[in-house]
Amino acid sequence: MSADFDPAAAGVGRLLAYAALPLAMFLALATALASIPLPWILHWSWVPSLGVDLAFHVDGLAAQMLLLICGVGSLVFIYAAGYLAGTPRAERVPVLLSLFLLAMIGAVTADNLLLLFVFWEMTSVLSFLLVGFSHEQEASRKSAQQALLVTGGGGLFLLAGFLLLGDMAGTLSLRELIAMAPRLVDEPLLPLALSLVFVGAFTKSAQFPFHFWLPNAMAAPTPVSAYLHSATMVKLGIYLLARLDPAFGQLLFWDLVLIAAGSITALWGALHALRERDLKRILAWSTVSSLGTLTMLVGLPGATAPLAVAALLFSHALYKATLFFVVGNLDHGAGTRSIDHLSGMRRYMPWTAAAAALAAMSMAGLPLSMGFVAKEVIAGAKVEADLLAVVGYAAVIVGAVSVAVAATAAVHVFWGRDTCPRDADPHEAQWTMLLPPLALAALGLLFGIMPATVDPLLAEAARAMAPELGGLMVESAYDGGPVLGALALSLVFGGFVYAFWDRLHAALERMSWIDSFGPAAWYQRKLQALGQISAWHTQRLQHGLLDRYLLVLIATVTAAALLALSFAAERWLWPATQGINPPLLAAGAIVVAGALAALWVRDRFVLLLASGLVGYGCAALFLFAGAPDLAFTQFAVETVFVVVAAAVLPEIRGGATLAHALPIQRRVEPLKLLVSIAFGCALTLYLLLAAGQPLDPALSEFFGARSVPAAHGHNVVNVIIVDFRALDTLGEIAVLAFALLAAAPLFKLARQRRRETP
Amino acid sequence: MIWIFAVVMGIGVAAGVYLALSRDLFRMVVGLSVIGAALNLLVFASGRLDSAAPPIVVAGTQILTNAANPLPQALVLTAIVIGFALLCFSLVLVVRLMRAADSDDAHRLRAAEPPHDAGLKPPLEEV
Repeated sequence: MSADFDPAAAGVGRLLAYAALPLAMFLALATALASIPLPWILHWSWVPSLGVDLAFHVDGLAAQMLLLICGVGSLVFIYAAGYLAGTPRAERVPVLLSLFLLAMIGAVTADNLLLLFVFWEMTSVLSFLLVGFSHEQEASRKSAQQALLVTGGGGLFLLAGFLLLGDMAGTLSLRELIAMAPRLVDEPLLPLALSLVFVGAFTKSAQFPFHFWLPNAMAAPTPVSAYLHSATMVKLGIYLLARLDPAFGQLLFWDLVLIAAGSITALWGALHALRERDLKRILAWSTVSSLGTLTMLVGLPGATAPLAVAALLFSHALYKATLFFVVGNLDHGAGTRSIDHLSGMRRYMPWTAAAAALAAMSMAGLPLSMGFVAKEVIAGAKVEADLLAVVGYAAVIVGAVSVAVAATAAVHVFWGRDTCPRDADPHEAQWTMLLPPLALAALGLLFGIMPATVDPLLAEAARAMAPELGGLMVESAYDGGPVLGALALSLVFGGFVYAFWDRLHAALERMSWIDSFGPAAWYQRKLQALGQISAWHTQRLQHGLLDRYLLVLIATVTAAALLALSFAAERWLWPATQGINPPLLAAGAIVVAGALAALWVRDRFVLLLASGLVGYGCAALFLFAGAPDLAFTQFAVETVFVVVAAAVLPEIRGGATLAHALPIQRRVEPLKLLVSIAFGCALTLYLLLAAGQPLDPALSEFFGARSVPAAHGHNVVNVIIVDFRALDTLGEIAVLAFALLAAAPLFKLARQRRRETP
Repeated sequence: MIWIFAVVMGIGVAAGVYLALSRDLFRMVVGLSVIGAALNLLVFASGRLDSAAPPIVVAGTQILTNAANPLPQALVLTAIVIGFALLCFSLVLVVRLMRAADSDDAHRLRAAEPPHDAGLKPPLEEV
């Protein structure tokens, strides 16, 4: 990408114009937050019969998310303008990002569960489109598909959970649900509903075991990764859990699941961060780790935990987005993201190095950074919650790894020995790619030095998660002592991990069993199984064998018909048996004889004669049942058919001359015979039972009464055919004509044949 | 009367379906014609068989009385003719098919849906 990068020819200005939307929204939001007190409520009735309303509610938590969405969003748009300039189809990204921005705003402000779900899935779809931006690369397509299947599929679980919750609470409004949650505690289905919500939130926020899509989503352009897969979208699951925490935080089930899933995710992400060499993937895994910590914090009981969630949510967005920007600059300026080839880059990229240093400080939790504030509050929350020892150890490891990752991203890459080959020509990025990371990093510094500036925002967000919280301030949440000790511990450990990064990496790299055991491998196997199942059943059902298609069809129809009949078994009414009618019996015997003979004979001409016998038998039946017109027609048809059959006789008797003729065999096929008999029996049953029911004679009586006065015809059947239903008869004649036209080539063919073989 | 029609029709349909389920193309077509003839009996008998008198208005009167139901007869009349046309056309088709495939085996008519191992479909991806 960097090779053909040409800012003069690229539409930086044009791409930059898209940043006007988030910027305007950010300014409006900031102004509104300063002047209008929270909460803001908007409500329109949309589908009242389903309880779906366009209801929006902005409280402290939503306001914090909105600031991140619009604030980080503005910088991402600016950064994307520089990053993507000169790339084919570059304009897609800001367009999709704008849609994503709106979807995110909808998702974090929606007060209706179904409305929230709609926005939630919109973000999944947009994430799919953005991850698959470089769709000409297979890896990109697969990552996009994976992200969509995992988060979109999780969204469906979420919908099921929402519907269950809404059904229990009798309302789809999020606020009403939270207000009445204490009354739902004894509902037997509540654990199921919450589990479904967990699946939705965990897939979205990349929690174990659904985390694997996030590192793969790094196939997206870097500004997209910074925005969707670090600062905003992946926080949506955390947001939902934090939103529901005041409702269900009292449940042991809720706390245990969140703490367990969060801790495992944090640890798993930290472990995998050490296995990577690609800086962007390292950051992705550390994002997974941070998301795990956030989930765990939501699950923690205690008054400080909500504040810790708000603080980490905020500081993580600031430093992680900055680091992603830094990686994008490295990718552009040095043409690589591998930490093996990046060292001492500060000589070439001083501004990027400064931003990286500030962000890394925050990530490591060094004093005078926003990360320090967050770490302090988190440590306070953990002390207060009286955690299990295991969770505590996990937190130490996670903290150490995040220190090491920060050190790698800043110290190793920028301050290490300059090993860059001369011909690589590393260079600093242009201003659109420097302003965003520097601005975010500077904000992190500002909030770190003066926590009071961000305090009202965090306190307001925390109060949304724990309404009983008073005017708690960030500064009062920590008191030095043990907290500083924990920080020192993680710094020391982090230093060790950084120092031995390569050796740890080599050791972890050898643990290849993780790849075949983890959920990612499970996903891979399931995806493959899907294809195999389709292939298997296509081979079974779509086999292309005509007789078996027909067999399945007729067997299904027979089963359905008999089933339907059996439902009404108590209302079966058999028709009365009248005296024996010898002529009818004889005619029926002809039909049966013809049918059985047709089954028996093998010679094709005799087979035709047997089927003719069936026709003649039917004609006789018609004759004795008061239908002479039918009888004469059938006789005529059968006779004419003999002429047709005679015309094709040489062809049909020539079966033996075909190269691939079927061998003549008399073996009965039992399954086909069974299905045939069942079908015949079903029809017999239908006719008999129908005859037992009353008949509506209205139409017959109409024809009987109107034939002479209206059409001056005494033969009612003829009158119906040529008069009342004349148009149908015209169609019938047309069908005959078409059949003749289609059959004509055959006669021609037959004549040619005869001439050739005298 | 209805019992004779029902039983004969059932046997006719069963025999026709068994023929139609055959792999032999020619037997398939003959089965179609047998099914058609038997189903005509079904439609006819559905109109009830209360009278064996042809539905002809007696000279001098205006209204049909005490005669067979004319409506199913009109329907079956159409069906016989259409069935004949269908049979003739099917016969043409099958004879042409047999010549084209040089076989009377329905399992060899696989141009539209070739067997999965024929190498004509995209192979299943081995991930």
